[in-house]
Amino acid sequence: MTVVDTRGPRETRAADGASRRPRRGAMRRSAARLGWGFASPALLLVFAVMIFPIGFSIAMSFSNVNVTGSGFQLNGFTGNNYSILFHSARYIHDLEFTAIYTVVTVTVEMILGTLIALVLERLTHARAWLMALLLLPWALITVVSAQLWSYIYNGVYGVFDAIMNAVGVHNLNVLGTPTQAAVAMGVADVWKTTPFVAIMVLAGLVMLPGEVVEAARIDGANGWQTFWKVRLPLLRPALAVAVMFRILQAFGLFDLPYVLTGGGPGTSTESLALLGYKVLFNDVLFGPGAAIAASTAFIVLVVCLLFLKVFRTQVGEQED
Amino acid sequence: MARRRRKNLGTNIAALLVAAFVALPLYWMVAASFKSPVDITSAAAVPPHLTTSNYGNAFTNYSFGTYVRNSVIVAVCTTGLVLSLGTFAGYALARLPMRGKTAIMTALLMISLFPTIAVVAPLYLLLRDIGWLNSYQGLILSYTALMLPFAIWILRNFFLGIPKAMEESARVDGAGPIRTVVRVILPQALPGVFTAGVFTFVAAWTEFIVALTLDNEDRYRTIPVGIALFGGQFTIPYGTIFAASAVAMLPIAILVLVFRKAVVSGLTAGAVKG
Repeated sequence: MTVVDTRGPRETRAADGASRRPRRGAMRRSAARLGWGFASPALLLVFAVMIFPIGFSIAMSFSNVNVTGSGFQLNGFTGNNYSILFHSARYIHDLEFTAIYTVVTVTVEMILGTLIALVLERLTHARAWLMALLLLPWALITVVSAQLWSYIYNGVYGVFDAIMNAVGVHNLNVLGTPTQAAVAMGVADVWKTTPFVAIMVLAGLVMLPGEVVEAARIDGANGWQTFWKVRLPLLRPALAVAVMFRILQAFGLFDLPYVLTGGGPGTSTESLALLGYKVLFNDVLFGPGAAIAASTAFIVLVVCLLFLKVFRTQVGEQED
Repeated sequence: MARRRRKNLGTNIAALLVAAFVALPLYWMVAASFKSPVDITSAAAVPPHLTTSNYGNAFTNYSFGTYVRNSVIVAVCTTGLVLSLGTFAGYALARLPMRGKTAIMTALLMISLFPTIAVVAPLYLLLRDIGWLNSYQGLILSYTALMLPFAIWILRNFFLGIPKAMEESARVDGAGPIRTVVRVILPQALPGVFTAGVFTFVAAWTEFIVALTLDNEDRYRTIPVGIALFGGQFTIPYGTIFAASAVAMLPIAILVLVFRKAVVSGLTAGAVKG
């Protein structure tokens, strides 16, 4: 806050001087200075509160961290925190779980989301209403949705069990059985985030050039062929962005297992972020905890860079 | 003609299925919030004995009122700060000749998608050092930094779409740069500011892991932390939880429905300009 206050008047003066000078090079330079003046409060804050901690987290993951009641110390360089992780069956399991969970839920969400977008596109009257409805799960607090699904899946009086009983499946203990708990969590996730995917894909669909689809139809392609051969390839950039957003969100999965399953039964639905949180704040092991957090971030970073690369080339192809 | 009608029928049935898929769990939550403690365990679709006691309970027997106040303070301050800092940064990154703009934008995009667990531990230690755990300012500062990158992206995309002639005529009229941004550019970019505002508010209202780590004392809990930690060791007071949830959802639902267009354009901001 104070950063803005002290910077504001000075920048105004500098730029007022600039606007009176007619020379182009000087104007450009002062415009650049103005740009940094405008951008630096935000960038400095992001640096101090996001980038510096990320770096600090990496430093922590390579140190013996000594946390006491009042402070903390980093003592010496060590690779120990990582070797603990890579020899820990629990870490390996959680890594696998997070990766599989991400791939499966994102795949289901992309397919369902695209189908819903196609329905929305063809809908004539009620489209605005349905889109408004779709925005509600997206804006719902994840913790609330987790409580809601834990109520639905409740082993004693949950409505899911009541429905399954009615169709003849008895004695389910959904949240008490590893695979079922993971699937149940995936369903809750799909319910909350598919609308987000659908709206992103719909935006892509609306922006497609109508003439191309029309031309394909005139050439005798049916609806199915036009979709697979013409519209889907054109839709790829929009789909790629949605996939990237979702992969990164899903990989940081925390709120849903924290409330819905607590990572259980056992550690069967424990995500990397949840493990990191437990190690950091329940076991107060900041070295290994930082290593879990940093390794999660590293994986996300690699996936992100790969996607940016693929996405860039796709956009390039389109512009040609 | 008949074929077209059949096609429409198929679309409408599919749309109904989608609506049911989204709405039924939400209905179940609201219905449960009106069920008495006896009926909460029943699978009755309509509460047999309609009661509003859960709503009173959330505010009197639990400190839900405090959580609402905390969430409002944190979300409003965060949104204000993000918009005031983000507008100038977004404008600069869209319009002014700075070096390394692409690198900055790429870095901001990646940071906005980073798993929060990566920053939570150092933030906790650093804020503990300066005594800002269990405070408003610690959480507001963290949220502002957390949500700025995405807001800058949205705002920049909107600024890119404003004709340059506007600024030039303002400059000819002798307006200074801050005045130009506030008086000339901002009104043009208002839809973008709304979009960024709605996104920031929703993100601050729903964020969990940072709030859980930094502000876990009952006095400073926000709504998500309060709802996650509701109840005792042995029973989960679902009626109260869902009454609180329904109250927590109301402002967001209104916001999202009123600014529907802004939200949709924000969701697609990434797709519009990569």
